[in-house]
Amino acid sequence: MLEGWLGPFVLASLRAATPLIFCALSVVLAERAGVVHIGVEGVMLSGALAGLLGVVYFGDAYLGILLSVLVGMVTGLLLAFITVYLPADQIVTGIVFNLFSLGMTSFVFRLAAENNAAVQALIPGMPAVVLGLSPFMVMAIIFTVFLWWFLFRTGPGLKIRSMGEDAHAAHAAGINIIFTRMIVLTAAAVLSALGGAALTIGWVRSFTDNITLGRGFIALAAAYCGRWNPLLAAVACIIFGAGEALAFRAQAAGTGLNPHYYLMIPYVLTLLVVAVAGKGRAPADVGKPYLRR
Amino acid sequence: MAKQKTGTMLSAFAQRIWDSPVIVPVLSLLLSFLIVSIMAMIFGVSPGAILVALFEGALKGKYAMSSTVKETIPLALCGLAVYLPYRAGFFNIGGQGQLEIGAITAMAVVLYVNGSPAAVMALALLAAVAAGLLASVVPLVLKLKRGANEVTTTIMMNFACIQFVHAMITGPMKDQSAFYGTTEGVPQALRLPEFSLGVNMHIGVFMALLLVVATYWLIRRTSYGVQLKAVGGKPSVAEASGISVSRVITLAVLVGSAFAGLAGGIQALGVTYRVAEGWSKDWGFSGIPIAFLAGNNALAIIPIAFLFAILETGARYMQFMTGVPAALTYVFQGLPVMIFVALNAWRSMKPKKIQR
Repeated sequence: MLEGWLGPFVLASLRAATPLIFCALSVVLAERAGVVHIGVEGVMLSGALAGLLGVVYFGDAYLGILLSVLVGMVTGLLLAFITVYLPADQIVTGIVFNLFSLGMTSFVFRLAAENNAAVQALIPGMPAVVLGLSPFMVMAIIFTVFLWWFLFRTGPGLKIRSMGEDAHAAHAAGINIIFTRMIVLTAAAVLSALGGAALTIGWVRSFTDNITLGRGFIALAAAYCGRWNPLLAAVACIIFGAGEALAFRAQAAGTGLNPHYYLMIPYVLTLLVVAVAGKGRAPADVGKPYLRR
Repeated sequence: MAKQKTGTMLSAFAQRIWDSPVIVPVLSLLLSFLIVSIMAMIFGVSPGAILVALFEGALKGKYAMSSTVKETIPLALCGLAVYLPYRAGFFNIGGQGQLEIGAITAMAVVLYVNGSPAAVMALALLAAVAAGLLASVVPLVLKLKRGANEVTTTIMMNFACIQFVHAMITGPMKDQSAFYGTTEGVPQALRLPEFSLGVNMHIGVFMALLLVVATYWLIRRTSYGVQLKAVGGKPSVAEASGISVSRVITLAVLVGSAFAGLAGGIQALGVTYRVAEGWSKDWGFSGIPIAFLAGNNALAIIPIAFLFAILETGARYMQFMTGVPAALTYVFQGLPVMIFVALNAWRSMKPKKIQR
């Protein structure tokens, strides 16, 4: 009885957690380097659409992922140019970038749908590769471990973290802040876009306006809950994914607790973690634009 | 020689224009329009046709005009909800959550409290104000006591509030006869009084106008405004000069979030007459670009909110007439501010380069 219930539930939780993990990793990476990544929602949305269009037009899931990565790079460079190179306020830029992406993706989606009806149909799913896990789940696990190793066990990782703690000190130590932050933010945006692709190619297999529905912000919550540690952030994503799976279950069953209370879990949990931990362990320089002196 | 002189005069003129405070907002609007025009042309529609359709849809005829005016109210109030706390260095992204929780609280009063219509209505709006205010207490306390960044916490409060409202309208407050999550409608007698000044309006118009002007006055003409400026500039200096920083921030945030809560109450009682799934537009989020485009002058919130209202109400008509997706309005909301902050940053970068 338990097996019949538990297996699908764990899989459903992981499926919901996978897009979140990519995005949470991107937030961890960007903020460790000292750049707030509120734009994660918009990049995710763009990556989600690009991935789907790639699959439809090139007929291959991996080419879809590639297109999503490219779009992630372009949006990342745009965000990096505005918030790191110029530099404008990171939070304002991120928020209005999200609005812009919402309009842009809906626009491009309509445009594509007028030319090619296949855009609105379901795309083929990706077969599981190992242990019933989809390629995206495997990638998420690999990236999580890699990012943790990279940030906490390598020289470049240490440099990136030092930028997030005190950019001017890092600059004095010989790090080119502007250049490095631009690279890091671009890499982070690629991760966010992959999160979007994991949503459309790996899970829902279609696109609708605003399909991410605030998942980027849930990923943001996961990064904060995980205290900017990739491993803990991924655990937070899985907890949040389980919450989402529970909500689906409650909705399907139509009994028990209102599903919306389960959907509140990420936000309330994050507030609790912030309340308990306060500022502790947050990269100290996050959100402050680095001005050349 | 003469040519060179006109050259320097021209460049001095260009420098003057570049230095004027109006140029960046104007330039960012123009650039955004250029980009949106290109997008329209990709869609095979001329940019002029889009503009005409947008303005016709929003302003032509009594019905369209009155819905645009009504749409301006929550946008202006949510703009204030960002504008005022930001003066004190508090970035209130929680406007949407404060608005929704305000709306559901107002609905609860209207549906469950008996009394004379005027009293119930006033109580409902006050309850909306109180609810919006309460929704900002958690981020405020976490900021002042724990040093937590308010951007994170207000975003979290947003979604928590929205999920709570959904839990209410699909749970205890659900209209049992409806097939989707919604409260019952506001009884006719308890809807905000409407009147006509050429176009139909409800009394929320006066509240919004009054509050924008009051905020302007508060910032420009009172000692609190001076303290606000000091705290927003450099809190440590303000503290050293005897200003209670936490008191100044607290007041700005509470008043700001009360505006957002009031916007929710006004929308529920004056426009939508119920709170349902998908009942609200992103008024709270739109408040952010509105507040930023307003720059240093709170009064500018009114025309900018009106412009955003035109985008909102005209968009559907534009889609109907030209086929260009209404979603384009989101591009038009996000893009100007993106260009705006980028240009501002670029401008402040320039002189430093010359110094070097």
